[in-house]
Amino acid sequence: MSALANPSPFEAALEADFNARSGTSEAQAAAFDRFAKLRLPNRRVEGWKWTDFNAALRSAEPGDAAEADIKPSPFSALDPLEFRIVNGRIELPDEPVSEGLRYGVVNPVATIPDLEDHPIASLNVALARKALGFEVSDDVAFDRPVLIRHINTGGGFSFAQTMMRISPGARLRLIETYEGEGAGFYSHLFHMVVRDGADFRRAVCQDMGEGGIVNSICAAKLDKQAKFYSTGLSTGSRLSRHECHVHFWAPGSSASINSAALVAGERHSDFTTDTQFRAEGCAVSQLHKGVAKDRGRNVFQGKFHVFREAQKTDAKMAANALILSDGAEENHKPELEIYADDVECAHGSTVGALDEDALFYLRQRGLNENEARALLIEAFVGEVVEKFEDEALRNIFASLVDKWLEQQ
Amino acid sequence: MLKIDNLHVAVSGAEILKGLSLEVPKGEVHAIMGPNGSGKSTLSYTVAGRDGYDATSGDVTLDDESVLDLSPDERAAKGLFLSFQHPMEIPGVQTMNFIRTAMNAQRKARGEEEVSAADFIRLIREKAKLVGLDDAKLKRQFNVGFSGGEKKRMEMLQMAMFEPRFAIMDETDSGLDIDALKMVGEVVNALRGPDRGFLVITHYQRLLDYIKPDAVHVLAGGRIVKSGGPELAVELEKSGYEQFIEAA
Ligand SMILES: Nc1ncnc2c1ncn2[C@@H]1O[C@H](COP(=O)(O)OP(=O)(O)OP(=O)(O)O)[C@@H](O)[C@H]1O
Ligand SMILES: [Mg+2]
Repeated sequence: MSALANPSPFEAALEADFNARSGTSEAQAAAFDRFAKLRLPNRRVEGWKWTDFNAALRSAEPGDAAEADIKPSPFSALDPLEFRIVNGRIELPDEPVSEGLRYGVVNPVATIPDLEDHPIASLNVALARKALGFEVSDDVAFDRPVLIRHINTGGGFSFAQTMMRISPGARLRLIETYEGEGAGFYSHLFHMVVRDGADFRRAVCQDMGEGGIVNSICAAKLDKQAKFYSTGLSTGSRLSRHECHVHFWAPGSSASINSAALVAGERHSDFTTDTQFRAEGCAVSQLHKGVAKDRGRNVFQGKFHVFREAQKTDAKMAANALILSDGAEENHKPELEIYADDVECAHGSTVGALDEDALFYLRQRGLNENEARALLIEAFVGEVVEKFEDEALRNIFASLVDKWLEQQ
Repeated sequence: MLKIDNLHVAVSGAEILKGLSLEVPKGEVHAIMGPNGSGKSTLSYTVAGRDGYDATSGDVTLDDESVLDLSPDERAAKGLFLSFQHPMEIPGVQTMNFIRTAMNAQRKARGEEEVSAADFIRLIREKAKLVGLDDAKLKRQFNVGFSGGEKKRMEMLQMAMFEPRFAIMDETDSGLDIDALKMVGEVVNALRGPDRGFLVITHYQRLLDYIKPDAVHVLAGGRIVKSGGPELAVELEKSGYEQFIEAA
């Protein structure tokens, strides 16, 4: 049995929770051992410089999650197949399972080899009790969106996993929301495979209270000619980090990975992606937009790792940010690691303030200062919102941006 | 009536306007000509209320009310319109949505009713035709990828939509082809009326063939150094500004 050296109160609570369990598997014990070595990531750890979970959790109360009223979701208007993960507890939809789908509450995975050096993934593997298993059968294009609401209402910590398989030729739209007023720590480990010729579109929305400490990891493996889309919008929280790990294993697949963050007050948002190309002729386009105000902090880290065998890779990344206050922070780290020679890779990053000329122009036309600023910020973030092809979905995201702007 | 009284303006610490006085009575169109860098755009920015273009002394009044303490949008709501010498491209901003928002913002500030979506569409289609912009351009992001001339047409479109009480047109004619020049004349002449005034900044007499000004002023060295009738523009075209630069 591993023991943590000099644990913080929060780490001690995690360890006590682990030790109190009966029937933990060897794999879970091994995962906890890895965590015991890695520990909660802090600013001195590569990749975690701007998002220090150890510091945020040092002062967190390791208390229990409290039940609270669950607010209606704006995404309910889309008639989704709705799942909830409330403080780590998985709730299935209250309706018969549609043809072409299989889902249920299952045992979590024992390990994800690619993420074995990831401290929070290791912790999740050690501590998650259950996973949501979900499968779309061959060639099924499920027409309703699937909604997974991650709701955190209290303190303490909770872990959950989702395992998804999009079978060959299948198609699925997924919406994930991270919500709730809780001040606890929530870790979600989502791993999935998009099989040959399948098409998967994911929308992520974080709209939660300011106390939450969240890490979500989406690890997707793409087979031949698969399509993967992920577009996220976050207004941050105490500490929030959404990771997307996309691995191209077979030729001819493509991904579009986009994110926008609007952070005000003391909020923090982090979108971190790691895209690995291990096969020929795959393409990625990636766009991030960050808006930081007051003492808000936004982090974007994007990595392309192109292996020697991944010739004809086409990978583009752009990150643009607006800083609206002196105390606000934008931290960008684009990273290219390329071992193949016949590739097209590009990245660009810009950080600036609102354009004074444009502001004056809009005000000369009659918009007051707030209206003019809001219009320019909306236009700036709009490029990411436009990535949602479905109009109804796009409108919900656009209204979330408007709601944020109105609160400023 | 626009009245500018002994206006001094410093930009980045340098005095650009040095006691400029000018009156454009209601219903009149006045033209301003003057060498590059003489302060014509500075004057228009100051009247429109741009940050950094502050009057150190003097006054600007619109129908006897000083505007210098008003924000740019308050001035716009009072009916002041500036056609920019270099109109902006604003990526991500939908043209129709923006013009409608601006129109309603002005109306709201004046306590008027908002324009309905249907009336707005009708109006903008009509005015777009007048200024020679097709529907596809209205659906684009504001001015993005527009040619210089198209941007000027977009300025005229907005002027025609807002029907301002007083318009300053800062070199609207620069970079325009002959047809566009004629169009600018038509837009101005259609708006011209007893309650509306125009200040037309230009380098060329040509525009004034289409817009007959009631008066022409020469701005040099931060002041109006000469005023006259339309014939002054013709004279300037021949002789240039040298005499005024010496005088200023
Ligand atoms: N923001 C600024 N910062 C510094 N100097 C400025 C600024 N704006 C204007 N100036 C200076 O003020 C002077 C007047 O400029 P302005 O643009 O008003 O001239 P103009 O008469 O409009 O010229 P043009 O005919 O070329 O349009 C110029 O010398 C210019 O360099
Ligand atoms: Mg000028």
